[in-house]
Amino acid sequence: MDLDLNVHKEGDHSVLEVAGEIDVYTAPKLREKLIELVSEGSYHIVVDLEKVDFLDSTGLGVLVGGLKRVRNHDGTLQLVCTQEKILKIFRITGLTKVFPIHGTVAEAVAAPAE
Amino acid sequence: MDADASGPPAPAGGAATVSLAFPPEPRLLGTVRLVVSIVARKAGMDEEAVEDLKVAVSEACAVAVGDLNRAGRPDLIELDVIETADRVGVEVRDRAPPAGNPDPPSAADAELNDRELGLALVGALVDDLRIAALEGGGNRISFWLRRGPEVPPPLT
Repeated sequence: MDLDLNVHKEGDHSVLEVAGEIDVYTAPKLREKLIELVSEGSYHIVVDLEKVDFLDSTGLGVLVGGLKRVRNHDGTLQLVCTQEKILKIFRITGLTKVFPIHGTVAEAVAAPAE
Repeated sequence: MDADASGPPAPAGGAATVSLAFPPEPRLLGTVRLVVSIVARKAGMDEEAVEDLKVAVSEACAVAVGDLNRAGRPDLIELDVIETADRVGVEVRDRAPPAGNPDPPSAADAELNDRELGLALVGALVDDLRIAALEGGGNRISFWLRRGPEVPPPLT
């Protein structure tokens, strides 16, 4: 089990594509990548979860931590996800009210900053 | 990781289908999820129920892994998956001392309390979540999940 992370730029946004399972074992790798992006000055981040097979509470905590970090710089952290099993985790924890969740990366990049 | 078909006594009303015992290592949770999903599919659970079960089992086991690691204990975590006619039951047992008040997240790592959020997630996904202290030390987390959507009784 591993977590693959790839970053590319789309305009002002850094798009972080995540593939694999995000759990208590792999979440630290995601946390480190988000910290690295913010420390490099990427304050508008899109996390693409379309290739994520599993997400647990540790992963949610890491994403919330990332959101707090970019907000410290007046930035944004948006998600891309259409998988019902992953969306369900955000819904039942109330985090759909915290994260803007989009159907595509293009939508996320085009969304106005809140 | 040991797997057998006997294991410790199952909760009332069911027979243990699969029992696992594994050390508190986070890297093993993926294997646990794989085993549980195979058992669930063989039991005829629909895919949504299988996904719910994977999340709930993984979170319950992650709580045990975290509690044991914080206590510096290498003791095995025991997991039973119990199959009945309409439900699948899960019981996770560990020998960790009482969790007490976990440390708040540090300012540098201001995230959510994973333990509390994890248990809240389990509670939202399953029926009859119970968390109890074991005699002689340790914790037991148990719950049930339906195999699939409730089907209304046939019209007579």
